[in-house]
Amino acid sequence: MSIDAQTHEDAETFDDRDDEESKSPIKQWADDWIRNPEKAYAVMLVFMGGVLLTTTLFPLYWLFAVAMAEPGQSNIPLIPNQIDLSAFIVIFQQVPFARFMFNSLFYATSVTVIVLLVASLAGYAFGRLDFRGKMPLLFSLLVLSFFPPATLFIPLFRAFNQQVPMLGVFTLPVELYRTPGAVIAPISAFAMPLAIFILTTFYSQIPDGLEDAARIEGTTRFGALFRVIVPLSAPGVATAGILTFITTYVEFFFSFLMTGDRASDWAPIVNGVLAFQTRYTTRYDLQAAASLVAIIPVAILVVVAQEKIISGLTQGALKE
Amino acid sequence: MATEQGHTGESGGLIARAGTWTENLSEQAYAYLLLTPGFLILLLMAFWPLGSAFRMSFFADQVVGTGRLGGFAGLENYVRLLTDTNALAPATFLDPSFQVPLLEQALFMTLLFAILSVVGETILGFLYAMLMKAEYRGRRAVRVLIIIPWAIPIVIQGMIFFLMFRPGYGLLTDPLQSIGLFSSLPLNTTFDGFVIVTVADVWKTSAFMALLILAGLESVNQDLYNVADVMGASRWQRFRYITFPLVFPVLMVAMLFRTMGALRVYGIIESTGVGCTTVPSMTCLVTQFMFGSSALYGSAAAASVLIAVVVGLFISVYLVFIKMSNQDLDLA
Repeated sequence: MSIDAQTHEDAETFDDRDDEESKSPIKQWADDWIRNPEKAYAVMLVFMGGVLLTTTLFPLYWLFAVAMAEPGQSNIPLIPNQIDLSAFIVIFQQVPFARFMFNSLFYATSVTVIVLLVASLAGYAFGRLDFRGKMPLLFSLLVLSFFPPATLFIPLFRAFNQQVPMLGVFTLPVELYRTPGAVIAPISAFAMPLAIFILTTFYSQIPDGLEDAARIEGTTRFGALFRVIVPLSAPGVATAGILTFITTYVEFFFSFLMTGDRASDWAPIVNGVLAFQTRYTTRYDLQAAASLVAIIPVAILVVVAQEKIISGLTQGALKE
Repeated sequence: MATEQGHTGESGGLIARAGTWTENLSEQAYAYLLLTPGFLILLLMAFWPLGSAFRMSFFADQVVGTGRLGGFAGLENYVRLLTDTNALAPATFLDPSFQVPLLEQALFMTLLFAILSVVGETILGFLYAMLMKAEYRGRRAVRVLIIIPWAIPIVIQGMIFFLMFRPGYGLLTDPLQSIGLFSSLPLNTTFDGFVIVTVADVWKTSAFMALLILAGLESVNQDLYNVADVMGASRWQRFRYITFPLVFPVLMVAMLFRTMGALRVYGIIESTGVGCTTVPSMTCLVTQFMFGSSALYGSAAAASVLIAVVVGLFISVYLVFIKMSNQDLDLA
């Protein structure tokens, strides 16, 4: 009840006004909530939300607290003694952290472009065309997405690193290891099944009439796909793209094991963050600062695209 | 979209000619043409490695030399893994005599991790999803804050928990030790490390669970709630008879995804500084076989196939359960 209502004459019209004055505040709340349960739910929601958000955000705040600490300091206080942003500059000087970040962003962007392009073609075939072997092929994708990366990893590592022939037929050039290809290719394959499923669902929902109209006007088959189907399925394409981008950016397994340690060898953020651990053992403040910086690109993506992520998943991905 | 630009940008003669050529293909041939690039990548980067790993798992480890495979060994690698008789193994996969503590056996450690983390993520994820669905001012910001942990690179997630639990440094080490919950070196103790890794995983992936559950909640027909209001249903009844049954299938799919993810846990173990020697997951075993003191490729491949088998078993259990519960819900 606002202060306005109490001073205003209308406040007197509440019939049990005098009773409430004499009760303890807790009793008043209880009465109020019994009369409007919605209010009680709202308070519960706020309380629950507060607790949940604290658990979500505390670890990030902790990174900040560590980044503020002096080099070599132990027993980091909960509230920083000083606001010292120098760690955020030192990370770029001591280690080529910008390059590590560039490498990671490059991987994520390349994988997203490749997967969207290739999965668009496949999604169109699965979603809008009839052909023999459709179900077995879709099923093979589903089965594939069940396998853990560890199973795919050993032969790929041998093919990229030890020149074991692929398919038993051809050998990859020695130079390929420690180039972006050694990471982009496996992660693309790993992220592809999900993108194909999402795009298949979205493309199949476009009415045939729209595509037919474009075709009658003389658009080619590819033209119809990229000028009609893809733009009309923009939310789905965006969802698939964002999911692929984030999956690649956060990926650990291939990023860690398929690359060298140095930024010039196309090592991603994984190695960038770990670089502080091995070489400058005591500089945890730098590690925390580097971690915060590395979160920025995806945090921006989430802020900008959260509606797309949610609406895309709601409209398509789960309606199989 | 990048895809559009790629094509409209280079509308050269070659593309145009290829376009006319595709016009004359039958629907079937056109479909196969469209599928070729995707399946070519999958063939090289997924199907072939799978087949190859499966084949490798039947060959003996070659300890001396450059890590090449030994001769055909049949099921020996599997037998050794499942009976803990591989003298060179960096950790135990399964010890049938149970001499080795459960958490030091890769199979049980991973199963326990998967069950605990998925249960935790489902509960938290459901709460998050409700919070993301409710209408209030500032919902956009709350949604962003909930989603962010999911978008944080695994190595950084590990770093956060490493910094929290490092002895003499982290905030939580001393209090947890003084109430007797953790030892003085939590990152080097199997039980403590297991707890840290599980908490770290729940922290990050509850958000993903929440996204999937939210998708389910949003697709529930709102008219049903209006009907429920007219009939005077309580909040609990609305949840019990409308929300839960309708979200249940999505919940199962989300849990299935997460279980698959949890069974392949590796990154968070390495990056929290707990390490594979303290908390050996099944994937840990594969990498340790490969990059350990001697590269044991046969055993590594066998272990990786066993992970796939365990994942496959879990998927079948889920599918049977989904089928059974669908029948139950129909009756209810």
